[in-house]
Amino acid sequence: MALRSIYRGLKKNNLLSPLCNSCSHLHSHSTSFGYKEVREEEKSQMVGNVFTSVASSYDLMNDLMSGGLHRLWKERLVSKLNPFPGMKHLDVAGGTGDVAFRILESINNVGRRAMRDIHDDNVLDETQIFVCDINPNMLNVGKKRAQERGFGDNKSLVWVEGDAEALKFEDGSMDGYTIAFGIRNVTHIEKALAEAHRVLKRGGRFLCLELSHVELPIFKDLYDYYSFSVIPALGELVAGDRESYQYLVESVRRFPSQEKFAKMIAEAGFDKVEYENLVGGVVAIHSGLKF
Amino acid sequence: MYRSAARRILPAVCRRTGHFRSKASPVRFSAPIIHPAAFSEAAASENARNHKPNNFEASRISSSSSSSSNEGRKPRVTDRPKAHWQEEQARVLQASLRHVISLGWSDAAMIAGAREVGVSPSIVGSFPRKEAALVEFFMDDCLQRLIDIIDLKEDLTNLIPSNRVAKLVRIRLEMQAPYISKWPQALSIQAQPSNIATSFKQRAMLVDEIWHAAGDESTDIDWYVKRTVLGGIYSTTEIYMLTDTSPGFVHSLSVVDFRDTWAFLDERVREAFDLKKTVQEAKYLAEAVGAGMGGSVQGFVNNLFKG
Repeated sequence: MALRSIYRGLKKNNLLSPLCNSCSHLHSHSTSFGYKEVREEEKSQMVGNVFTSVASSYDLMNDLMSGGLHRLWKERLVSKLNPFPGMKHLDVAGGTGDVAFRILESINNVGRRAMRDIHDDNVLDETQIFVCDINPNMLNVGKKRAQERGFGDNKSLVWVEGDAEALKFEDGSMDGYTIAFGIRNVTHIEKALAEAHRVLKRGGRFLCLELSHVELPIFKDLYDYYSFSVIPALGELVAGDRESYQYLVESVRRFPSQEKFAKMIAEAGFDKVEYENLVGGVVAIHSGLKF
Repeated sequence: MYRSAARRILPAVCRRTGHFRSKASPVRFSAPIIHPAAFSEAAASENARNHKPNNFEASRISSSSSSSSNEGRKPRVTDRPKAHWQEEQARVLQASLRHVISLGWSDAAMIAGAREVGVSPSIVGSFPRKEAALVEFFMDDCLQRLIDIIDLKEDLTNLIPSNRVAKLVRIRLEMQAPYISKWPQALSIQAQPSNIATSFKQRAMLVDEIWHAAGDESTDIDWYVKRTVLGGIYSTTEIYMLTDTSPGFVHSLSVVDFRDTWAFLDERVREAFDLKKTVQEAKYLAEAVGAGMGGSVQGFVNNLFKG
C-alpha cells in the first residue's frame, strides 16, 4: 500500500520526470514488479524493501504457503546437486540459508563419514559454501539460524552480501551455483545467468529452483485461486504485509515459462539444459552444465 | 535387430571421424544373409569378410559413438575447445573406470575420475543415474571391444558353432575379469528397477552380437529362443565367475584364470546345443505318438457317442 501511494505521489508531482529524462538515454526499458511496470533502477529498490519487511517471518510464511512442501523441494534440489567434500559452492539469494544448510549437512552426514578415508578428511576442510544475498536483513536471519543449528562456528559457511548481477567472485572458482526462489526477483535475469556462467568451473553445475507455470487444466485454476486469494490474505494475517505477498504471487506469473527460461539458460552458455517439474509445474528445477 | 541398426549408424558416424573400422562394417552388413537358416551349419558369411588392417583409436572413442545417445554427434575430440559435453562426460567415465577397482562403482570413483580429467566433480551430479551411468558406459565399452575383436579374429570359422559361442562369451567375460572383485556391486546396480531397462537392452545387444558373430541366420521364433538361451547361459556363467577362485595355470606363455568358469561355460553351451537336438527329437516323437494315438482316441470317442 505504502509503496504504491509513494510511487503515485512522485509521479503526480513530476518529481520522477527529470530522473526519467536522464535515465531514458541510458535505459529505455521498464521491467515488471509483479503486474506493475516499473523503471529498472527502482525494481531492485522495491524488491529490497519487500524482503526487508518479510525477512523475519520469511521461513514461517514459506511453510504456510507451501504447506511445508518447500522443504522437500529444497531437498530435491540438493540431491540433484550431489554435493561432495571439498566443494566450493555458491548459493545466491540464499538469505536465510535453507539450501546452504542442507548442502553442508549432506556433505557431513554420517553415511559419508563411514566411507571416508584420510585423504577425504583433508579435502573436507576445503569445503566452502558461500551464501550470497543482496539484502543484509535476510543474511542476518540466516546467521541467526545457523547459530541455532550449530553451524555458527563452521568455517565452511561464508555469508556474503552481494548482487546476483555483479558477483564479487573470481572466474571459474565455483563447483556449483544454486539459486532457490531468487531469480525472479532479479532485474536482469540474463545478467545473473551470465554471472553464474562466469564464476563456475569447467564441469560446474547451475541449478535453479523457482516457482513456475502450471499448465494442467483444472489444477491451474485451483492454483490460481490459491495464489491470488489465499496467499495475500495469509501474508496480511501472519506477516502483516499484504502488498509484499501480492508482489510475490504476481512476480511468479510474470516469470518466463519453463521452456523460455531453459532457452535463456542455454543462451548464457550452459550445456545440457534441462528442467524438472515438481507438483505439476508449481515449482521447476532448471539445471545446466558449464564446459 | 539391434545389430543391424547399430551397423547402419556406426558407419555414418565413423565415416565422419575417419575411423578405419568403418571399412569393415559396411562389408559386414552386405555379407550374404541369404544362407540357409540352419542351426548347426557353419555359416560361410565369415569367409566373405576381407580383413583390412584396422587402425584402432582408443576404444573410448568408439564406445562413445556406440552408446545410445547417437543423435547429433559433433566432430571429434580433437576439436578443442569446442568439446561437446557428451564427449567430456565419456572422458570422465573412462577415467573413472580406472578407480573402480579401488573405490567400487560409486560416486567416489566418478569424483576421482573427474578430478583426474581436470573437470569439476560437480559433473557427477549431471549423470542421470550416477553409478548406473558408469556401469552402462562400461558395458557399452566392452561390447564395442568385443565387436572390434570379432572383426579382427579369423579363426572363429574353424570352430563349430557351439565352440564359437563359448569362445565369444569367454572373451567378453574376460573383459570383466579385472573388475571381478567389484562386479557384484555392478550387478546389483544393474538390477535396480530404474536401471533394469537399460541393462536388459545392453545384454540383449550383447547376446545378439554374439549370435550374429557365431553365424546365426534364423528369422523365426528360433531367433528369440536362441537369444534367450544364450542370455541365460551368459548370466549364469557371469555369476559363477564371481565365486570362482580356481588358480590360474600357465597355458603357452599366458596365465589363464577362472579355469572352472570356462569349464562350466563349455558344459552349458554344449547342453544348450544338445537340447536343441533333444527338443527336435522330442517333437518328432510327439508327432508320431500323436498320429498313433489320434486313431485310437477317435475310435474311442466314436464308440462313446454311438453307445
